[in-house]
Amino acid sequence: MSALEFAQWLQSTDWATYLRSSAYTYPSILASHLTGIALFAGAILVTDLRLLGVIMRNQPVSEVIGQLRWPKRIGLLVVATCGILLASSKAEEYYYNTFFRIKLTLLVLVAVHALVFRSSVYNNARALDQARRMPGKAKLAAALSLLLWISIACAGRGIGYIEPPLDKLHAALTSLRATAEPR
Amino acid sequence: MLIAFENPLNESALAFPILECFHILGFAMTLGTIALVDFRLLGFGLRQNAGELAKVLAPWTLFGLITVLLSGPLLFSSDPDMYYLNISFQIKMVLLVLAIVFHYTIRRKLLRGELSPGLNKPVACISLVLWSSIIFAGIFIAFVVTPGQ
Repeated sequence: MSALEFAQWLQSTDWATYLRSSAYTYPSILASHLTGIALFAGAILVTDLRLLGVIMRNQPVSEVIGQLRWPKRIGLLVVATCGILLASSKAEEYYYNTFFRIKLTLLVLVAVHALVFRSSVYNNARALDQARRMPGKAKLAAALSLLLWISIACAGRGIGYIEPPLDKLHAALTSLRATAEPR
Repeated sequence: MLIAFENPLNESALAFPILECFHILGFAMTLGTIALVDFRLLGFGLRQNAGELAKVLAPWTLFGLITVLLSGPLLFSSDPDMYYLNISFQIKMVLLVLAIVFHYTIRRKLLRGELSPGLNKPVACISLVLWSSIIFAGIFIAFVVTPGQ
């Protein structure tokens, strides 16, 4: 099964069809997605500003990171659950959507960011508490994290501005298949 | 007398989405920083003194709020008739006024220790519900039918 076939199957499931055409459920999930973004953003912002040494300098880094770990996780869970529901309801449209592809790429970069910085920064906060000055690597991690999440929010907003002409695409595919078939 | 006036916002296809990005980032900053203090009042997340935490985060909340209050009216100006008549927009404006007033009166007093700590949890809940319902009302602007549109 190709990615496009998967997207077509996903979009044609009963609940995706229901979600797409619902008057209140779809906007409610979208609003929950955005509320989750705000809660998640607060935790990310404070963690990163602390790493950059902008706020809470009298609080140990390990405490700020540790205490915000669960709010961050819960926020991300809400955002991701709603996001997957929203994306699956329009999966085939989004398959062609440039901003959706950019957003997915940026999310992969978030995973890379975590792999690169987890051991040296986020799971190494106790050592950062002892450091006389915040190491450049921690500041870089914080700056990249802010940049990534801001870009993801903007890419997400961009998705809504592209409506791939599915009817035309389908018609083109049908005629392509027709010409490809042996007479 | 009718004056022909074209909103420059409507001349560029990019202006509206870019403004919306600022609007989203602004409210994420506002609600995000407010929620961290509300969570503290509910006994979740950051553990430093709630009043101090509020003081540390207040400039960031305000910065977000200013971004929202600058980008919002510009977005509104792109199609004032639609927004003006939109029931969800009307509800959003009422909620916004309530949230801002509540934030800078009762909630501020509580965080300065001028109210009984017994009010911590009710105030935190009201604050969270008010601010997140603004997001819901904002999203529904695009999903409710505006009379005459």
